[in-house]
Amino acid sequence: MPIEITMPRLSDTMEVGTILHWHVKVGDEVSAGDLLADIETDKATMELQSFDDGCVEQLIVSEGNQVEVGTIIATLSEEGEVGEVASDTKEVVEVPAATQEAPAVTQEVPNTPQAAPTPTPPTREQRTGQRVSPVARRLAEEHGIDLNSVQGSGPSGRIIKRDILQRIDTTSETTSAAQTTKVVSTDVVPSTVPVTPVNMAQPLAPTSPWQQERTEPLSNMRQIIAKRLVESKQTIPHYQVTMDFDMDPLLEMRKTLNEQLVVSGIKLSVNDFLVRCCALSMATNQEFNASFGGDCILYHGPVNVGIAIALPEERGGGLVVGTIRNADQKSLRTISQESSYLSKKARESGLAPDEMGDTTFTISNLGMFGVDNFTAIINPPNSAILAVGAAIEKPVVRNGELAVGHEMCATLSLDHRVIDGAMAAMYLQSLKELIENPASLLV
Amino acid sequence: MSVATAERVIEFRDALREAMSEEMRKDKRVFLLGEEVAEYNGAYKVSKGMLDEFGAKRIIDTPISESGFSGMAIGAAMRGLRPIVEFMSWSFSLVAADPILNNAAKMLYMSGGQFGCPIVFRGNNGAGGQLASTHSWCVESMYANIPGLKMAIPYDAYDAKGLLKTAIQDDNPVFFLESERLLSTTCHVPEEEYTVPFGQAIVRRAGTDCTIISFGRPLHFCLEAAKELAKEGIECDVVDGRTIRPLDIDSMVESVRKTNACVIVDQSWSFASIGSEIAAQIHAICFDDLDNRVYRVHSDDVPTPYAHNLEQAYLPNARKICEAVRQATYNV
Repeated sequence: MPIEITMPRLSDTMEVGTILHWHVKVGDEVSAGDLLADIETDKATMELQSFDDGCVEQLIVSEGNQVEVGTIIATLSEEGEVGEVASDTKEVVEVPAATQEAPAVTQEVPNTPQAAPTPTPPTREQRTGQRVSPVARRLAEEHGIDLNSVQGSGPSGRIIKRDILQRIDTTSETTSAAQTTKVVSTDVVPSTVPVTPVNMAQPLAPTSPWQQERTEPLSNMRQIIAKRLVESKQTIPHYQVTMDFDMDPLLEMRKTLNEQLVVSGIKLSVNDFLVRCCALSMATNQEFNASFGGDCILYHGPVNVGIAIALPEERGGGLVVGTIRNADQKSLRTISQESSYLSKKARESGLAPDEMGDTTFTISNLGMFGVDNFTAIINPPNSAILAVGAAIEKPVVRNGELAVGHEMCATLSLDHRVIDGAMAAMYLQSLKELIENPASLLV
Repeated sequence: MSVATAERVIEFRDALREAMSEEMRKDKRVFLLGEEVAEYNGAYKVSKGMLDEFGAKRIIDTPISESGFSGMAIGAAMRGLRPIVEFMSWSFSLVAADPILNNAAKMLYMSGGQFGCPIVFRGNNGAGGQLASTHSWCVESMYANIPGLKMAIPYDAYDAKGLLKTAIQDDNPVFFLESERLLSTTCHVPEEEYTVPFGQAIVRRAGTDCTIISFGRPLHFCLEAAKELAKEGIECDVVDGRTIRPLDIDSMVESVRKTNACVIVDQSWSFASIGSEIAAQIHAICFDDLDNRVYRVHSDDVPTPYAHNLEQAYLPNARKICEAVRQATYNV
């Protein structure tokens, strides 16, 4: 009986996956645990391993193509039955979604029917994972628009005429805007000033490649960032509360600790302290460790603090949120070790599903880039996110005297459905108490 | 041409009478028969005054026996006359189903071309207003299924006259479906001779967002809906098919190619209907021009209710059409 390999769900938000590379070819013998393919998910590139022994019979989805979770991407024949076709899909191999608990989203995602008695080549819809109305498909072909880059607004995400026309409009607006600018620039030249005749409609110098107008399709990660953050900003009633923190005590303690920790190769970052502060403050501010549940508030058990990690350009940019689980029960040292491990792994090879997701609160820190303060968009299903600026040396008033000290500005973005302003203020007060009296973080 | 001529406004029923009278004056073979057409001047006053002008030999009152007088007229047509049979209601044509379907529609074919059947069957079709289910038949879907006949459904007085003249001149059996609800409607009808050819649809309202295809009385619901939808920014192209056989599918396709969306409004029941036939043809001919499946609006799948409110709710009314257009254009 052939074994069908389906696109696995590799993260809780994954709906589609792209086969980046097949490590096997038809006819190869594989054993359980062998690497089959690299799969790009919404968050990262993951390895797909075989769960069975057998011989690769078919690679149904070719490299570069995106399919829905559950779609059959390859078949293996068991030893001694090469060439036999699948006749009973009940034997379909369940590729478990790694170590994830089954997320509620699973039920909403329609699985691609697996009932075909014979593994047939995927239809056009399956290959692109998209529904497209006939005229939308025709218009896209006529205008050279990649359907993979279009978000469908029809039922079940069907791409309809309107979506294509909007794309065409956007493209032509960009073009005409650029032309308008050129025309305006000629008018700006004062007629009384003698100038060397220059054709202003022409660019003055050959443009660099980055100046060329171009369209680049969204990566999986950008698509998911776009989708989730629009969803967050449109559905969550955001508001912000900001507070300044005296950082001198914390910086002082950090310096002392880091000097002592040099031998163990550990360097505590300001962010590590903040992770612990935020986690400890949950005990008295439980709404910050909760989610809006439609007709209820979901209070989470574990305190899982997410840290936003920017990815380098060579890995396609974007960002992921690494998870420090049970952060309220971990020492600064453990938090620091986990945090460095997550950042390094995210930047170098990508995080595994259990290293991201399941967050209950998120910290986004741009302090290392010298940013004073900023606001962040809530990372659903969290009900708050803390945007942290740099600890900056500045004139401060201490005990009625002007002095020089370090201050840090942090801004909470909050889901007003869960957290009211006074609650936000209390949480910031709790943070302030811990940050400005950091010795308590050690116990 | 005088201004008065240009603006001559008459009722639908007068237009029908003019068509018959003009053709009868031209062609001695044309005559009218049916229940109450002569002495009573017509149950709906369509043939008012015709007995006086043409006499009892050409305007013939019949017994309440559709099967009998339809068969007699078919025989006359086979022998060279050109009868017009008035059914008080197409609901009553059901008792004449055998002669009109088995004889009239098939005669030319079954006689190997020896006998044609140049005959017009005409009368009120569809819900007339609280006439209950047995007297509110929409026969178009059922009868259009039969090869060998033609079928016309006029929308206004102008078309009533122009299409009926074409019907009378046609050498084939023509089923001419009027509506009791339209008989008193008026519009400009020129005094000059004109005909409206079969198989030529007309756009009753131009729009770019959705094609609405219909025939006869439901077109009025369509135009009401189109007016409502325009307020929402949805512009409908309302196509009047005018004749069902022959069907001007080309004009319908042309409109769909423009709008990429299509709603068919058919007062018959939906199962195996004019609506399902046109939807199938549009899917077959211009699938790649569709932005959504073709939507259909029909009478509800129950016998026509007697109660006024239920009858209104049962018909393919403007509310249902608006809903279908919003669905078809993804405006829900």
